[in-house]
Amino acid sequence: MGSSSRSGGLTIRDVGMVYRRRDQVTTALTGCTLDIPEGGWASLIGASGCGKSTLLRILADIVKPTSGVALVGGVSPAEARSARTFALVSQQSTMLPWRKILANVELGLEVAGVDKAARRRSAEEAIELVGLKGFEQAFPSELSGGMRQRAAIARALTLKPRFLLMDEPFGALDEITREKLNFELLRILKETSATLLLVTHSISEAIILSDTVAVMSPRPGRISHRVEIGFGHDRTNAMRDDPAFGAYEAELRHALHGPASSARPASHPIPAFAIH
Amino acid sequence: MSSLSLADAGATERSESARTRPQINVPLGLILPPALFVIALVGLWAVLSATGVIPRYILPAPDAILNEFIRNYPVLTKHALATMGEAVAGFLIGNIVAVVMAILFSYSGLLKDAFYPFALISRAIPIIAFTPLLVIVLGRGQPPVIAVVSIAVYFPAFLNMMRGLASADVDYHEMLHTLSASRWQRLRIVDWPASLPYLFAALKVSASIAFISALVAEWIGANQGLGYLVVISSQYFKLPTLWAAIIVAAVLTLLLLAIVVILERLLHRWTATAAEL
Repeated sequence: MGSSSRSGGLTIRDVGMVYRRRDQVTTALTGCTLDIPEGGWASLIGASGCGKSTLLRILADIVKPTSGVALVGGVSPAEARSARTFALVSQQSTMLPWRKILANVELGLEVAGVDKAARRRSAEEAIELVGLKGFEQAFPSELSGGMRQRAAIARALTLKPRFLLMDEPFGALDEITREKLNFELLRILKETSATLLLVTHSISEAIILSDTVAVMSPRPGRISHRVEIGFGHDRTNAMRDDPAFGAYEAELRHALHGPASSARPASHPIPAFAIH
Repeated sequence: MSSLSLADAGATERSESARTRPQINVPLGLILPPALFVIALVGLWAVLSATGVIPRYILPAPDAILNEFIRNYPVLTKHALATMGEAVAGFLIGNIVAVVMAILFSYSGLLKDAFYPFALISRAIPIIAFTPLLVIVLGRGQPPVIAVVSIAVYFPAFLNMMRGLASADVDYHEMLHTLSASRWQRLRIVDWPASLPYLFAALKVSASIAFISALVAEWIGANQGLGYLVVISSQYFKLPTLWAAIIVAAVLTLLLLAIVVILERLLHRWTATAAEL
């Protein structure tokens, strides 16, 4: 890597997004700056409508920012897309209903023009990695939501992406499945050493999967806080019982909702609980 | 872990039933009800005819028509083959042109803007009325009939394909965009499969349109075919021949419809709507 690692991560510099519809101007994002080093894990967290998905979609070259610069591995999102250095996993698994899981997972390599034998091999590897072995010949409608999401992750992994962009990938899943997949994703991230940017509205998911959590505020969408999660990359389920985990949770909750204790008199316990 | 294995068991169970369903049951379930209906209809008809409720010169007895089938078999076959050829050729030409046009229109904004309103308006033109003109241009015989059938079946497929090609979820397009897929890949991978349920809906409608328009066009512009046979036999009061021709036309229509439905079932996974997910 050497010199290229300096700019090899994900960079968002002073990114703004303004929508103009006739005489109405809506500022969706303003002055967003974030640096994620190569191999780093970061999350964007915030209430719906704070622009966190828009920020991710800028990096995925789905929308263009109206101001500022976004870089993926030191190049523009469009160049990164052509070079296929990133993969996007969205909330809906976007499994094509008429394709079997194997064919769906192969899709990325098929589009990239990889020959049949090679893409089959990669797809089978990826399917095994996400724990879907045995379901290659099933149709998406025959799988649960969690399994479809695993398949979507497998499809992303076949591209051997340097950057994984995930837009609430487990947002439609129940808490139990979500947490299980969080820890499986950790394992996969370590195996592939990919850089992760995750959009989520779950505080615990953000802590489990991040070195850096960027908290976003709405109207206009901006990054209001940054919390560094000091757990390193060797994480297990036990991290949830670590007192530091609870401290991070509290810190993020305050960042999201404002500091409850200072905003309200301490002698008045009910609103403080109500905020949680 | 247990929640996962539960889901797994359910998934394999469902996948097995999904795999065995389409092939075996379909043809029987498709053919049996209409067959029963035909038997009941013939029974009623025999009774009405025998009791004289409907006079013989309007509706001959079933045996008279059966006799006609046996006696006039070569003539009926000749005319049936002519009509079938025209209907199927027109069906294929009209639908293929419609699909190609819809693909071109949906991929070229300029083409769509220029021709789409015209395509919609031209739907209101009674195509059959153009048959005499087509006879002048193409000469008497099968070509004008095939032309009428092609134009008549064109619209359902064209309109449905325009909708079908635009029916795929925008999430799929974004997914393909991030994979740097070409327009052609997008058509092949997402838009075309997504449009197939729409196409088959149109094909089922136009299967009967094909035969109806072929028959009517034959009245005007042909010297063979079941439509021609209907006109000639009614002019000579050969009622059994008239009825035999109508029955053959109905059976052929059902046959084409059955082929379309079976094809749809064979493409079951592709023709299922995305709502299944």
